[in-house]
Amino acid sequence: MREAASDAKSGGLTLSGLTKHFGSFTAVDNVDLDIQRGEFLTLLGPSGSGKTTLLMMIAGFLDITAGDILLDGRSIRDVPAERRNFGMVFQGYALFPHMTVRDNIGYALDVRKRPRAEIAARVDEMLDLVQLTEFGHRKPGQLSGGQQQRVALARALAFAPPVLLLDEPLGALDKKLRIEVQDQLKDIHQRVGTTFVYVTHDQEEALSMSDRIVIMQQGRIEQLGTPNELYEHPRTRFAAGFLGKSNFLTMPDGTYALRPEKIDIAPGGQMNGTARLTGTIRGITYFGAVQKLMVAVEGRDDIEVDVDSWRNPHALREGQPVDLGWSDTAAVRLEDT
Amino acid sequence: MALLFLVLPALIAIPVSLTPKRFLSMPKGDYSWRHFEFLFSSPEWLSSFAQSGIIAVSTAVLATALGTLAAIGLWRVTSKYSEMVRAFLLLPLIIPQIISAMAFYRLLIPLGLLDTYAGLILAHTVLAAPLVLITVSASLANFDPKLEQASRNLGAPAWTTMRRVILPSIRPGVFAGALFAFILSWDEIVVTLFISKFNVYTLPRRMWNGIRENTDPTVAAAAVVLIAVTLGAFAVSAIVSRQRAQTALKED
Repeated sequence: MREAASDAKSGGLTLSGLTKHFGSFTAVDNVDLDIQRGEFLTLLGPSGSGKTTLLMMIAGFLDITAGDILLDGRSIRDVPAERRNFGMVFQGYALFPHMTVRDNIGYALDVRKRPRAEIAARVDEMLDLVQLTEFGHRKPGQLSGGQQQRVALARALAFAPPVLLLDEPLGALDKKLRIEVQDQLKDIHQRVGTTFVYVTHDQEEALSMSDRIVIMQQGRIEQLGTPNELYEHPRTRFAAGFLGKSNFLTMPDGTYALRPEKIDIAPGGQMNGTARLTGTIRGITYFGAVQKLMVAVEGRDDIEVDVDSWRNPHALREGQPVDLGWSDTAAVRLEDT
Repeated sequence: MALLFLVLPALIAIPVSLTPKRFLSMPKGDYSWRHFEFLFSSPEWLSSFAQSGIIAVSTAVLATALGTLAAIGLWRVTSKYSEMVRAFLLLPLIIPQIISAMAFYRLLIPLGLLDTYAGLILAHTVLAAPLVLITVSASLANFDPKLEQASRNLGAPAWTTMRRVILPSIRPGVFAGALFAFILSWDEIVVTLFISKFNVYTLPRRMWNGIRENTDPTVAAAAVVLIAVTLGAFAVSAIVSRQRAQTALKED
């Protein structure tokens, strides 16, 4: 099913000591990162964490202050953006408004002076890949946001680049559409086999699509791993709080991160097994599938407990005293405390 | 009222041009096309029309090319000096025309361009290019720089990006600049008086002489044609921009 496959031997990126200063501000600080050929890697971080700056350096739109970028072992530091052959999906898509969808998608092949017939065939193929076959002759302004996003993707993949860079491509879509497009994007990634480098501040996008996630903060890599590794074993307070939610418990031997859904809750004195903490329910927020309980515990910050609504056997109420318990592996000791 | 006050002096040329008398006067009851007939049959007047046309079109082409390139250059290079350069390029608009006229006179003598097409086109281009710089810069301010990045990212060299992405997006500004440049040259008199004599005799120049030497109503007829061409140019630009807006609307 690799109908749009790029050169499968290409697409491994190595960033070594990559640094970017803007005046006295360090946007990217000595980043070392190996991106595997064909993987879906997400750069996740809050705004100002340097993730977009990093992507712009890979794309060739920003000069490198120090360090190097290697594609399959060769430095591309001095290769201008127009000769790097990396596809890119821009924030807001940046489709050419005066060209039709077909001309947008065929642009990269057209500037490479490919024969007309080849371009037409490739554009057909890409329209099929993103399921926009009937929309080829429209202008971008006549398409919905989700359709524009797919055109941007088709345009960036049309010349079979070894690497595709995506800068918050779903940011402009509403939540329901976003989830749909996440599935499509993941599917397309598997079909084309191109290395995807994806920038987002949305943890759900990162968790649901990535092979690996890089959590960035203040221009540095905070933690790197598969979604599961990062969620189950956050090493720092920032990682634990940014990817998913965490309660932070101060214990004699350090700070522990504890996910709200891993806590058992029962009315005071009725816990099966050992109650580790006791407290009082301060508030309940109902979300349909889950309920968020805020539990006030003497001498600690409030603890958030997520309970599946259908499993709330005790019909817990506000003001009720409760016991809290969790298994030994649920609480993860953080390294930065 | 204010509008009438602004427009009436220009419109006064219309009745005057229709007078049957042989001197500038308001017609009293009887009208005549004789001055228009003379205007369009006199080889001198016709040659002035042609000369003004050639100079204005050449000026529009040159000034648009230079002004557009300057605007794109200043837009791409964001340096602390670019605003200084921009101010410098706009100087011809600020400097009193009479001073520009003297400067051109002094400059064109050693170049041997005094009283030539090339000299007039050069001078008018210098005066008109800042207008293009302003209109194109205004268009560029609304241009999404990501489109340029997208084009480069897709493998287009700088020139291709300019031709296929930047220029189509700033076309309204380029058109408006070309129009202003044409009109500036078409009715320019101050600088023209200084740097032309016998060989090049533009329409405003011939009108100037017509008024000074005799009060020939042909001048009024020429003025009517001059205004008509200017209004025509504006009308064309208005129609073009309206069509543009309508297609944009249809696309939405």
